[in-house]
Amino acid sequence: MTAPPGEAVIDVADLAKTYRTPFTRRRVEALRGVTFQVRRGEIFGFLGPNGAGKTTTIRILMGLISATAGTAKILGNPVPSRQARARLGFLPEQPYFYDYLTVGELLDLAGRLFGLDAATRKRRADELIAKVGLDRARTQALKKFSKGMMQRAGLAQALINDPDLVVFDEPMSGLDPIGRKEVRDLILELRDAGKTVFFSSHILSDVESVSDRVAIVIRGQIQAVGSPRELAGQTLLGVDVTLRLDDPHGAAADEIAARGDRVRRGDRELSLTVAADVDVDELLAFARERGARVVVVAPRHDTLEDLFVKSALASDGGTAAGAAVTEGP
Amino acid sequence: MTDRLGRIWAIALNTFREAVRIRVLYGILFLVVAANVFAIVLGEMSIHEEARVARDVGLAGISLFGALTAIFLGVVLLYSEVQRRTVHAIVAKPIERWEFVLGKYLGMATTLTVLVGLFAAAMVVLLLYQGVGVSGAVVKAVVLAWGEVMVVAAIALFFSAFSTPFLSGIFSLGLFVIGRITPDIQAALGSKEASAGSKTLLRVVLEIVPDLHLYAVSGRTLDGQHVSVNGDFVSWGYVATAGGYGLLWIGGLLALAIVIFQRRDFA
Ligand SMILES: Nc1ncnc2c1ncn2[C@@H]1O[C@H](COP(=O)(O)OP(=O)(O)OP(=O)(O)O)[C@@H](O)[C@H]1O
Ligand SMILES: [Mg+2]
Repeated sequence: MTAPPGEAVIDVADLAKTYRTPFTRRRVEALRGVTFQVRRGEIFGFLGPNGAGKTTTIRILMGLISATAGTAKILGNPVPSRQARARLGFLPEQPYFYDYLTVGELLDLAGRLFGLDAATRKRRADELIAKVGLDRARTQALKKFSKGMMQRAGLAQALINDPDLVVFDEPMSGLDPIGRKEVRDLILELRDAGKTVFFSSHILSDVESVSDRVAIVIRGQIQAVGSPRELAGQTLLGVDVTLRLDDPHGAAADEIAARGDRVRRGDRELSLTVAADVDVDELLAFARERGARVVVVAPRHDTLEDLFVKSALASDGGTAAGAAVTEGP
Repeated sequence: MTDRLGRIWAIALNTFREAVRIRVLYGILFLVVAANVFAIVLGEMSIHEEARVARDVGLAGISLFGALTAIFLGVVLLYSEVQRRTVHAIVAKPIERWEFVLGKYLGMATTLTVLVGLFAAAMVVLLLYQGVGVSGAVVKAVVLAWGEVMVVAAIALFFSAFSTPFLSGIFSLGLFVIGRITPDIQAALGSKEASAGSKTLLRVVLEIVPDLHLYAVSGRTLDGQHVSVNGDFVSWGYVATAGGYGLLWIGGLLALAIVIFQRRDFA
C-alpha cells in the first residue's frame, strides 16, 4: 500500500446516488456525477452546505451504501473492499457507539476487527484515549458521554489501526473551540505523519485553515477543486488599515475615516478598509500628519467564503441546501 | 481464517455484553424462577404429583420464555445497530457483512444458552429440593427446548434483517405458534370439511414453517406412542435428529438474512 506521493488515494469518478423513498416514490438525487481525486499525503477538505451530498459520498466510499452510477476507489481498490478498509480509519457523522461499553472496550472491539493482538490493542487504546482527552472518562459508559465526548471517542476508534487514510465526516461538529483546535492540530499531525486526510465540513474556516486542497460540493455536484488560495483567487479586493489615535472619535479621525469604508472605532484605534486602487502610502502619510500611528496594513483577498456563498447562491436562486427532489418514478 | 473467527467472535462477544445489560432479561429470569416455585406449591396440593407438576412447569417455562426471549433479542439487537447507526463504524472496518450477521447470531445464541442454562438450573434445584432427582428424560427435554430456542432466534434475526422490531416480532411469534401446531394443521388437511383453497394454503404453510413441535414432544403421541417427560421419553437418537433438523433451518435462515443484509443501504 506504499503508493508514491501524489498518487490518488481516493479516486471518485462520475459518482451518482439517487435515494428512492418506498411508497411515496420520491426520488432524491443526492449526487449527480461527482468526480475528484485525493492525493497521497494531502489534507483534503470536502466542503458544502447542508444536504449537498458530503455524507452520501463518504458513505459510498465506506461501503455503507451503494452508488447508483459511477466508480469509486480507495487505496487502489474498488469499493466496497475489505482490503482497502484495513488501511482506513473512519469517523462517521454524529457517531454513536454501544451504550454500555467504555471507551476502552470500544477501542478493543475496533482493534479486534482489525485483527490486532491484545498487547497492541491495549497500547494503542491507552495512547489514543490520552490523545483525544478522554482519560478522565475511562470508566464511564458511552451512554453517558456528551456529544463532544462521543466525537472524541469516534476519533480514537478511527485511529486504532494506525491507518494510511483517514476519512472524517464533520470531525469538528459538536466540539467546543478548544476541541476544534485540537482536531485541527490532530489533522495536521496525521498529515505530518505521512497519512492522507479526507474530511468534510460545512464550516469554512475549519476547512480553509488546514486543507491543502478543497472540493466544494453543492447540490450533488462538484463546483470547484483546488487549494484554498487558488480557489479564493489572488485579486486584491482592498487594504485593511488599523491606526492608533488618541481620540478615534475626534475630527482628525473623521477626516481619515472618510477615505475608506468598513470603519470600526475602538478605544484608541481606528480601522478602515480602502479600495484596491487607493495610494496607501499617501493615505498613511495623511494619517500620520493627523497624529495617527500605523498599527497594521494588510491586503484583503477574496476568501473561500466569498466563493462558497457565490457558488451556493448561483446554483439556485435561494438557499443552497438540499438536493434535487422529484416526484414519481 | 483465525482472523475471520476473531472478527466474528469480537462481534459475538460485543453482542453478548450488550444483551446481558438488558434489564428485561432479569425480569424474565425472575418470572421463570417464580413459576418454578409456584409449581412446587401447586405440586404439594396435588398428592404424589409433585415431581410431575414441577417438571412440566419447569420445561414449559424454559421453552416458552426461552422462545419469547429469543424473539425479543432477535428482533431488537440487529435492528438497533442499523437504527442507532452503531453499524456504520463497524462495517467500515475490514469485516464482511456476513461475518457481522453471523457474529450477531452467535452472540444472541450465547446469551440465550446462558439464560436457558439458568432456567434449567432453577428447575433442577427445585427438583432436588423435592428429592426427586433429575432423570435422563428431563435432560433430553431441556436439550430439545434449547434447540428450539436457537431456531426461534434465527427466525427472529432473519425477519429483523429487513423489517422493524414490531413486525419482525409478530412474524416470528406467528411462525413459532404455527410451528408448534403443524401436526394439527396436518390433521385438518385430512378432514373432509376443508375447502380445496384452504387446503392448498395450509400445504404451503406446512412447507415454509419449521416443525417446532418436534422440540416440544412431552405429552404428545409420537408414532402411536405416548411420550412424556414423566414416563417414556424420546431417545438420544431422536434428540440428535431434531438437532440436525434445527441446524439446517438455522443455516438456511442465516443465509437468507445475510443475503438481505448484504444488499442493504445504511443511510
Ligand atoms: N436515506 C436517505 N433517503 C432519502 N434522501 C436522503 C437520504 N440520506 C440523505 N438524503 C438526501 O440526500 C441529500 C444529501 O444528503 P447528505 O447527508 O449527503 O448531505 P451532507 O452534505 O452530508 O449534509 P450535512 O452538511 O447536513 O451533513 C439531502 O438532500 C438528503 O435529504
Ligand atoms: Mg453530512
